[in-house]
Amino acid sequence: MSRGGKVLEGTLNSTVLNNGVEVFLIPTPKFKTVTVNLFLHQTLNRATATETALIPSVLERGSKELPTSLKIRRKLEGLYGARLDSDILKKGERQLIVFSLDLIHDRFTGEGGSLLEKGLSILKSIVANPLVEGKGFKSAYVNQEKEQLAREIRGLINDKMSYAVERCVQEMCAEENFGVYKYGRLEDLASITPEGCYAYYRDLINHNPLQLYIVGDLEPEKVFSLLEEIFAFERGQGRELSPVDVYHKVKEPRYVEERLAVNQGKLTLGFRTGTHYSDDDFFALLFYNGILGGFPHSKLFQNVREKASLAYFAFSRLERHKGILMISSGIEVKNYERALSIINKQVEQMARGEIDLEEMENTRRGLVNQLRVLEDNPYQLINYYLDGYIGGRGDTLEEFLQKIEQVTKDDVVRVAEKIKLDTVYFLRNNQDSNGEGDHLKGGEADA
Amino acid sequence: MPSLWQVKESKTLEENVYYRRAEAGLDVYVLPKKGYQKKYAIFSTHFGSIDSRFRVAGGEEIAVPDGVAHFLEHKLFEDERGNVFDRFAERGASSNAFTSFTHTTYLFSSTAYFEENLQLLLDFVQEPYFTTESVSKEQGIIEQEIRMYEDNPQWRIFFNMLGCLYHVHPVRIDIAGTVESIRLITPEVLYQCYNTFYHPENMAVFIVGDLDPERIGEQVIKNVDSRGYQPLGGIERIYPDEPSTVKEHRIVETMVVSEPLFHLGFKDPHVTDLTQQELLKREIVTEILLDTMFGNSEPLYNELYEDGLIDEHFNFGFTAETTYGYTLLGGETKDPEQLYERIIEGINRIKKAGIDKESFERHRRSAFGDFLRRFNSLEFIANNYLAYRFRGIDFLSIPEVLHKISIDDVQERLFEHLEDDNHAVSIIKPGETKVEA
Repeated sequence: MSRGGKVLEGTLNSTVLNNGVEVFLIPTPKFKTVTVNLFLHQTLNRATATETALIPSVLERGSKELPTSLKIRRKLEGLYGARLDSDILKKGERQLIVFSLDLIHDRFTGEGGSLLEKGLSILKSIVANPLVEGKGFKSAYVNQEKEQLAREIRGLINDKMSYAVERCVQEMCAEENFGVYKYGRLEDLASITPEGCYAYYRDLINHNPLQLYIVGDLEPEKVFSLLEEIFAFERGQGRELSPVDVYHKVKEPRYVEERLAVNQGKLTLGFRTGTHYSDDDFFALLFYNGILGGFPHSKLFQNVREKASLAYFAFSRLERHKGILMISSGIEVKNYERALSIINKQVEQMARGEIDLEEMENTRRGLVNQLRVLEDNPYQLINYYLDGYIGGRGDTLEEFLQKIEQVTKDDVVRVAEKIKLDTVYFLRNNQDSNGEGDHLKGGEADA
Repeated sequence: MPSLWQVKESKTLEENVYYRRAEAGLDVYVLPKKGYQKKYAIFSTHFGSIDSRFRVAGGEEIAVPDGVAHFLEHKLFEDERGNVFDRFAERGASSNAFTSFTHTTYLFSSTAYFEENLQLLLDFVQEPYFTTESVSKEQGIIEQEIRMYEDNPQWRIFFNMLGCLYHVHPVRIDIAGTVESIRLITPEVLYQCYNTFYHPENMAVFIVGDLDPERIGEQVIKNVDSRGYQPLGGIERIYPDEPSTVKEHRIVETMVVSEPLFHLGFKDPHVTDLTQQELLKREIVTEILLDTMFGNSEPLYNELYEDGLIDEHFNFGFTAETTYGYTLLGGETKDPEQLYERIIEGINRIKKAGIDKESFERHRRSAFGDFLRRFNSLEFIANNYLAYRFRGIDFLSIPEVLHKISIDDVQERLFEHLEDDNHAVSIIKPGETKVEA
């Protein structure tokens, strides 16, 4: 789509600024807010992941115009509590720096002036004019944020379910970039310097894909010209990022056990689907995941929880860019064999095509519902288009829905045949099955 | 004929709520939300985990095992025909439920077949079916839910804190009860609670989405009024006499965590004396007070952050229910003892200097934006509207009260609430799992 086209409510309008920043805008009157997400893309790999993860928090500490976070936050609060948050996303083998700016719409303030203009100026200041000391970022900020990032990385263990899933992914993809944690590694922090990090960031912002997604009751043309003014900083030649490694061969499933002083065991299974988001089979894969473990009507919830009473949660989840599927369940340690065998049975049933009409159709309705409600949340809407951009899939929501309507059971069975179990990871307590403790110290198994 | 539906309008929020009370006593609210794909409905009862002793209109006092409200919530999802989740799934809806200290809520959202789904919600909540077999099956599932929370440091530090702040009030007990207490639950106990608390007089429905408010509201009224409910008579909830002091000043538990967790809690023993409007004002005044003291735009937060004593997840908030109230603040820290000293020092510093006028106005303006922003979410609107309604408060009046409070209110609250002798500390230390007092 180009400039000057007719504006359709809820559709994606786009432009490219003179410096190569891509802008996508979805006009809709239904929200009380205006939401802006900025994404800076980088290839995920061991060498740079930690430094990339450090950057947004250093930037948020201060810019040339607003040199402390206290100044930044007061300015934002003055804009009726505008929110500016940053984070790191991992989508397939891509790592993204995200800034999200959330403002209430001007019609609620009862004053003149544009909150969006003021908010965008703060965002631009933070991203394009970082506070520089000598030839690097301000060193006090870098050192403090290195310590904070170390805490974030170590803190993974505090949520045992997320920890178990992440550890399973790390074991499964130890040789691939996907095995890198989105916040990086502790051992890489020491060598990061304020100068090196600043030079790395300048390179990133100048050459890597940089995008703005905006949702709200706005006129695209006005916003585009406002952005051309505010985001007019120099950038260099754009850089292509490497594609994702999806079609990974599996030999034999691996079994990994880790011990911590926990009450509940966490059983996690990682599968390779051999199907990428851009493949035609992707829609059938969504059904596969939905029938197996995506909903309360799914096989896992029905059999592990409702029939066998072994768990409170038992579900499966898809990582669409990497084409892996994870199963996660919380169980008594002594029920490991039983739970694993019930889970395996569900996966075998899928492969044999033991899927009844009800499972198929309930899943179809569930998927349609999930997709339709995306439109009611600005962040989910943005995420949908971002996924499409990264995965090379340009479907509108309506096109996507049509493809879901067309999936048949045969399609699901065909996808099921490609799915291979790669890794079974079990996080368990310190007691042996005969009840004696072996005193492994908690937290140290994360090597 | 004039409409039976009252319309309450909030110009500030650009929202309207339609309201009508059914003959059977059920309050029904509908908020139309143009342009949304999703429609969301909740059916709530004013029955939570703290309601374990009660009496109906002069009858016998009844005491039930801890965790019964939550257990009942799980069990209503099953009837003679099986699992209710499946019937929602057949109509493309996503359904769930949750239990808090004070209420239980059943919910679904859907983009199609909304009226059929609403009928299902109304039917399954009003048609209990408990058997010995299904109760015993649920014990295994809830036991795993409890075990999951035992490994959750945030949950542990929170309940350890409530156990310090409260001597006898049931808010100190886990919402799900304990592995032992849920074994005492039988179908008879569930029916006893059901027949008391799941009466329309003790319940409310809230529906939100792009729909015709009166037409959808009448569907609810018709369903409930066709069931021949007899008046319930008042429910008397019996709570033990809670002293105004804290029970313990400190608790430490050891768990598998990367670094210590620290919470500081202040008990507010005076909430029981307040009218509903006073309770709302107190909540808003206290939230603004905490923002001006501990907000990330204020000096105290920034000093603690730069010294590595807190991280960006440092959090604070005030809870004001009709029978209990407290302020909690804290997060992960490398040094809980030093963090404690520094926060107390900070509070005393602010008490000397007073609340800054600029800061008060900035936080008030920011709080308005935060409140408004959350009206993007249908779930936020419905869940909060009824939670406030069970406390007798009109949720949509919050911006108005926020607008009316003064810096003097906040200043006064600072001295009244954040006192030395009504606080407690809850800490989670890294290591092997164990509790020490």
